[in-house]
Amino acid sequence: MHEMSLAVALMDEITAIAAQHQVEKVQEVELHIGVLKQVIPEVMQEAFRAASAGTQADGAHLKMVAIEAQAACRTCRNIFSPASDNFLCPACGQGLIDILQGEEFILQSLTCAT
Amino acid sequence: MKINVVKNVLAANDLVATENRQVFSKAGILAVNIISSPGSGKTTLLEKTIPALAPEHPSIVVVGDLQTTRDAERVADKAIQVTQINTGMSCHLYANQIAESLPKLDLKKAGYLFIENVGNLVCPGEFDLGENIKVVLLSIPEGDDKVAKYPTVFRVADIVLLTKFDLLSSSHYNLQRVYEDLKKLNPSVKVVELSTITGQGMEEWLEWLKTQRQQSVGAQARFVTE
Repeated sequence: MHEMSLAVALMDEITAIAAQHQVEKVQEVELHIGVLKQVIPEVMQEAFRAASAGTQADGAHLKMVAIEAQAACRTCRNIFSPASDNFLCPACGQGLIDILQGEEFILQSLTCAT
Repeated sequence: MKINVVKNVLAANDLVATENRQVFSKAGILAVNIISSPGSGKTTLLEKTIPALAPEHPSIVVVGDLQTTRDAERVADKAIQVTQINTGMSCHLYANQIAESLPKLDLKKAGYLFIENVGNLVCPGEFDLGENIKVVLLSIPEGDDKVAKYPTVFRVADIVLLTKFDLLSSSHYNLQRVYEDLKKLNPSVKVVELSTITGQGMEEWLEWLKTQRQQSVGAQARFVTE
């Protein structure tokens, strides 16, 4: 549901970079998205299509790479992959953890017409 | 040609959120982001909370809704200042919208800034507004399976208020399941069973708020020189 907000923020970044590099046409946008971000790929595609209409990224291919969730337990230092509904350490059962990865929304690269 | 960017797309929002947080800190205000589904009781909670805090610490309220000023009107006579942000199509508030409201607000006169976010259990949990604490409301009529269905917002909550608790006996509600699901996501979160009708939990909620303010603002206030 928040994919549209993310697509608008993404287009702000793309527009700025396109201007900086004097790019006329973006062919591919590579996004790295943490699974904990709750982004639905089909919805993100649609949101990007709508947000990029009429811009240099109109028609660009959106490549999404998922980043798996990973957490570190502060109690026993175990590193584990939390399930979407369970963030307790599977080794010691404690809940004081740090999220190491899985919350990213990163514009990795743009591929442009030369 | 390929341009390597490797940039957090939400960095811009997070930067503004950090700036907002600094403004609140300087003004000696506790900023509270109130999140829930539509109809969980955010506005009613504010109608009861603000007068109870008021003699000592008045409140400013920022209300986010897609349309109307109805929620702002309901709290207008309780808070010292209220501002409404109509988001149009956006299902949550952004840090920028809060930042743009700040020049209109007399922050030095208030002890609390309550941000009543757009009714939504998905997006508001993802966007930092610069608040000090995130309050998530879950009302009894919504059902006991919502914690597992909307994990992100419950994972980032500082306190969960189980509102409309007076309706518990008339529903097939598995309270144990809610507590178990919360324990798996956010074991240190404070949970208060609350009813604005019977008053249950209100004292506990108010005391918690006051403690949060004391811890967050009290120590800093002594060092504010402006």
